[in-house]
Amino acid sequence: MDKKYKKVFIDALSLNGNQKVENIKYNEIDEWDSIGHMTLVSEIESAFNVTFDTDDIVNFSSYKEGKKILTKLGVKF
Amino acid sequence: MKIEDKHIDLWSKIGSRATFGMSLLEIQKEFQKLQIVTSDVSTSAGLDRFRKTYPEKFTDVGISEQNLIGVATGLSEVGFDVITTTFSPFQVLRCCEQIKNNLGYMKSKVTMVGLASGLVLGTLGFTHASIEEIGAIRSIPNINIISPADSLETVKSVYASLKQNKSTYIRLTGGQPNPKVYNQDYNFEIGKAIKLRNGEEIAVIVCGARVKDSLDARDKLFENYKKNISIYNFHTIKPIDEKMILKISKKYKYIVTIEEHNIIGGLGSAVAEVLSSVKENKSKLIKLGVKDTYPPGGEYSYLIKLLNLDSGSLYKQFKKILNI
Amino acid sequence: MKSFNKKNISKFAKNLRKNILKMSLSAGAASSHFGGALSCIDIIAVLFNNVINFNSKNFKKQSRDRFILSKGHACLSLYSVLKEIDIISEKEILTFEKSNSFLLGHPVKNFDKGIELSTGSLGMGLSISMGIALGLKKNKLKSKVYTIIGDGECNEGAIWEVALSAPKFNLNNFCVIIDRNNFQQTGLGTEILNLNPLKDKWKSFNWDVIEIDGHDYLDIFNSLIKPSTKPKIIIAKTIKGKGFSFSENNNDWHHKVLTKNQYEEGIRELDQ
Repeated sequence: MDKKYKKVFIDALSLNGNQKVENIKYNEIDEWDSIGHMTLVSEIESAFNVTFDTDDIVNFSSYKEGKKILTKLGVKF
Repeated sequence: MKIEDKHIDLWSKIGSRATFGMSLLEIQKEFQKLQIVTSDVSTSAGLDRFRKTYPEKFTDVGISEQNLIGVATGLSEVGFDVITTTFSPFQVLRCCEQIKNNLGYMKSKVTMVGLASGLVLGTLGFTHASIEEIGAIRSIPNINIISPADSLETVKSVYASLKQNKSTYIRLTGGQPNPKVYNQDYNFEIGKAIKLRNGEEIAVIVCGARVKDSLDARDKLFENYKKNISIYNFHTIKPIDEKMILKISKKYKYIVTIEEHNIIGGLGSAVAEVLSSVKENKSKLIKLGVKDTYPPGGEYSYLIKLLNLDSGSLYKQFKKILNI
Repeated sequence: MKSFNKKNISKFAKNLRKNILKMSLSAGAASSHFGGALSCIDIIAVLFNNVINFNSKNFKKQSRDRFILSKGHACLSLYSVLKEIDIISEKEILTFEKSNSFLLGHPVKNFDKGIELSTGSLGMGLSISMGIALGLKKNKLKSKVYTIIGDGECNEGAIWEVALSAPKFNLNNFCVIIDRNNFQQTGLGTEILNLNPLKDKWKSFNWDVIEIDGHDYLDIFNSLIKPSTKPKIIIAKTIKGKGFSFSENNNDWHHKVLTKNQYEEGIRELDQ
């Protein structure tokens, strides 16, 4: 699951592997701007077959936070 | 412009506004002289990344909509492909005379995208929600008017507008998510209505975010009563597809127009104008929309139900028309 | 740019005024905005005789300077100068305000005849001018934009939207001239909507402001050629109806019929 989650991040945000993905936060890197955020949420929803509610979308502020949200939605890491 | 299915899914999730802004990142590759001009609107139109990545193609004139159209006109005059955007009342009504003089009369080409039109901003009240702006500019010559049915059609409309030589007003409706009408890329032509479902007795002529709910209502009607009615996506209100309307008038007993707009001045009126020219027209026109009033404020889902424009209400109205 | 020669400019301005007389007479009962065209004609004389890079050879090229008459009702001045620089003909100017003419009581955009924009709805021409100036900069052209606005026109909010925003874009290719004749349709500007202190207002918006006598050719010339790092506004103190004893400072001539007698009087005064 960790690998899958990491891959979704890298693909959705078109990351080049220079950043340590586990540490990235919303609006702290160019790729994770509002557009990146929408793409990321959409790809995570598709990949893990979940639906983020409004609070989830707002609270999804970092890689680590996203993991917590997915766990809450039933994904087993 | 290549459109993939995964884009269509994403665009549906993020809504038509964000789709608009996002698609420009791709569209600007083909239009080197693209210039986006806005009135203090960027994140509201999904334009934040565009603004940061292509600052030379982005001009913010501040909350000055008269100047928005004036500056857009000037840029167009020296060869830029200009798109303006702000919330729909300000995009159209605040600068309506500039639209008349510069785009209608002088025929400078600008594509105007009105954000969050129709009822979606109902919680902010009707200074920000828009139920009259199609009527306002329909009487200005030389301007196309498009109301895309979903996020994909939003992209198709913007692209098509840039490709031709008239000014265009594109009215974005719907919320987030914005349900899909189209699951795949398709052929879009300004002024050519699209038949989405084939049936009898009733022809639904609908635009914007009401298309999906019309399709859902039609599906329920078929499921419960095996009655099949036709659904036509009239994405272009001007030039209205007269040929299609004339064809429809010969074939159907009832024509139902549906829009998130006043029944005066918008799609319904445009259809009525064409029908009134038909000799011995036997089809009966029923116009559904906002009945010339400002509704109370409220959430989008509340308002469309209140105004009988949601799929449940449309289903009931179709049944009533068919006497079942 | 041509070097300053008062005699040449005088002659040019005289011819411009003659054209205005001819067109006004030809308009007959349709009348014309005589006064407002005459208050800015000296500015136009210097601009077109000495300063602007706009002529019969280059008026269709993207690299040309632009002239926009935002106070479009003063169109007699525009048509007059277009005739004087051989873009439109004597025959054509006499169709002014006649049916089917391309020369109406407010300018109608006509690329082939050197008319840049359809102006006349006050406030709008200035906004388009700003867009043109911005576009020329983006296209990395050295062309300049010269726009004449009226002081009555400064009642319009649209003017102040440009005032606020043009400095943001460092439009040092944008030169606006206010034809400050202190008259509007129904009377004195100061009585209808007082603009004073006008210089202070534009200065506070961060424009380069120059005040001049709008009928002093050297003043006009120096202000037009003065380089600037910001958008420039020249507040030109003018006299409505300037050039003829019967029309000077007389607001009846905002929009009026010119009689044959007045025409002849005008020609006499010019030839003195």
